[in-house]
Amino acid sequence: MTIIWSGMAIGAVYALVAIGYNIVFISQKTFNFAQASLMMLGAFITYVGIVVMQLPWWLVGIMAAIIVGLIAALEERIAIRPVKDMHNLLVTTLGASIILQGVAQLIWGGEPYRVPFFAGDQVISLFGGNVYPVELVLVAVVILLVIGLNQFSKHSLIGIALMGMSEDREAAQLRGVDVRRFAFLAFAFTGVLAGFLGLFVGPKTYAVATLGASLALKGFVVLAIGGFGSLTGTLAGGLIVGLTEALASRYIGADFANLSVFLILVVILMAKPSGLFNRQKERTV
Amino acid sequence: MRFGKAKSLVASMAVLGLALTGCANSASSAEGAGDGDGSLKVLVLGGLGAEGILANNAATSVTAAEASVAAVNEAGGILGKKLEIEVIDDRADPTVAVTKLREKLAEGEKPVAVMNSGPSTVAEAILPVLMQKQILSFNIGPTETSTDPSVNPLNFDLSPSVQDYIDGFVPEIQKKKYEKVAVLHGSSATGELFGKLTEEAFTSSGLKVTGNEGYDNAALDMTPQLEKLKSSNPDALVLDSYGAPLAYVLQGIEKLGWDIPVIGNNSVSATSLVATDPPAGVLGTSQVKNLTMQVFESTKFDPKNEKLNAAVKLMAETGTIGSSLILAYNYDAMWLLKSAAESSNSLEAKNIAEALLDSKVQEAAQTQILPKYAFTSESHAPHMEPEHLIFISPSKMVNGQFQ
Repeated sequence: MTIIWSGMAIGAVYALVAIGYNIVFISQKTFNFAQASLMMLGAFITYVGIVVMQLPWWLVGIMAAIIVGLIAALEERIAIRPVKDMHNLLVTTLGASIILQGVAQLIWGGEPYRVPFFAGDQVISLFGGNVYPVELVLVAVVILLVIGLNQFSKHSLIGIALMGMSEDREAAQLRGVDVRRFAFLAFAFTGVLAGFLGLFVGPKTYAVATLGASLALKGFVVLAIGGFGSLTGTLAGGLIVGLTEALASRYIGADFANLSVFLILVVILMAKPSGLFNRQKERTV
Repeated sequence: MRFGKAKSLVASMAVLGLALTGCANSASSAEGAGDGDGSLKVLVLGGLGAEGILANNAATSVTAAEASVAAVNEAGGILGKKLEIEVIDDRADPTVAVTKLREKLAEGEKPVAVMNSGPSTVAEAILPVLMQKQILSFNIGPTETSTDPSVNPLNFDLSPSVQDYIDGFVPEIQKKKYEKVAVLHGSSATGELFGKLTEEAFTSSGLKVTGNEGYDNAALDMTPQLEKLKSSNPDALVLDSYGAPLAYVLQGIEKLGWDIPVIGNNSVSATSLVATDPPAGVLGTSQVKNLTMQVFESTKFDPKNEKLNAAVKLMAETGTIGSSLILAYNYDAMWLLKSAAESSNSLEAKNIAEALLDSKVQEAAQTQILPKYAFTSESHAPHMEPEHLIFISPSKMVNGQFQ
């Protein structure tokens, strides 16, 4: 059961990255490849706030959310908005990711820093397995986040406007939606989220400059499995990727962990090309 | 009068001739490199401008070289000539290293030696250039051929081989009376080699290897591999791990509640996390209660070792010791150079290289980081005796030494 808990916790971290990808995808129809690096910055800011400055965890969460939110807003202004061709955004966001990692390396170096979890770091036994409190909280956070964002997208005006933008950007604009403003706010929100989540991700992964690179690809795989634009899909995708990785490492061998994940991705995409939780739309020809 | 003039002319020519002969003798006795002003130049390459840990490692290597130059000059220099050090920041990038090295060599002044503090990729790139120019070199980043005298007769590696480190594990495991061991290693080339060679060495020593697992260096959780190894019921776990993966391995062991002795290699000891107090590190926590790590004797502070302590003090005064003292080989390199040059009474790279193979020359160098380098005509790699590799529990690190 310890392996199951481990797989679920790591899957939850991947899913959190994928949620960030999804929010940008819904609002801009593109991907922010710097999302995982924003989360890495969140972990570092949490480390600085809790360990170096010894601030209360809730204040650190707010501080990280604001700082990383501002960085994401800056990224949108520099790496997204000036770019005319949508295809080039893949390159510019990847560039932003490399810059963020380089900055983290320069400031904090390549060594990992331990980020204490505010609710304790003692291992607990649950359902026959051992788990850190933060791992349970990560699973809970991702589930609550998906439920909350789903409800927000269905019942709030901003959420409905964002969903409208994702369906048809021009139609939404014609209906009076300020698409550029909403896209900017959604982008900045993913930064706020990545910063705040440093409270939960940092204690699991440590604050380390290579974290962005470790998470970026797996987050994308989670997104592809669950379906681009589907928040519920990120839950299923995270669970599948996390558990596959853990069980393959345990019972087949670590060399087959990534192979198994990508094999499952291929099988799922062959069966459902748009991902598990996306309906294929018929095209009018 | 005319005869007198002729006599004085002959005498003058004879004096001039003798003077020229004297100069020629002097030149041939210490030929090969050096500056017009009588100083000798040593080039040190290091990735000072690289990112993260590479910069820390380079800072330690460069500091060690600078401190040793000061110490060697204090001891009279080499063959009466003072050493001058020039540092090239190659950013741990082979292209930058080759470009800057070629620029320096094109300036016309031939260095007496070049010291590479950077990774193997830099060594791979610069060694052919140094070979072409017939320049003596000392190298920290081993390559496939860096220790092969038939390929690089003028290069000497300073870091012991993976096999030397592994040979140090066997006596430790036997001393502790462990019979069954499990191995966990990373997916880097060194990690894979560690996994392969440890299994071979342990098996040939009569130890039972109950499991040998690798992990992806980009993975964030090693609990599955650890649980698999736990189920094989070993007496001890031999570990290769560095940086964030080490943090995840220690987390995994704690999570599994696995009370097993963990014997880490030098990569484990080079990770600052284990030498840092909580909350930033894990020193003194339950995660490292069973951990011992392989280090050089010189990496552990010994108040009785006055020569080493003086060297460390000098390094600390000279610059930054950003990593463990394991990266301070350049301190030894300068003394090896002095000993070999003075033994051969020459600054010719070929003569110094020949002298470096003499064990008496190596002993006379009185190196501090490694006690002896044991270069041979078959291999220009240092050979480290197992007794010079010790196993210690994590502790605070001060000036590159565990306290």
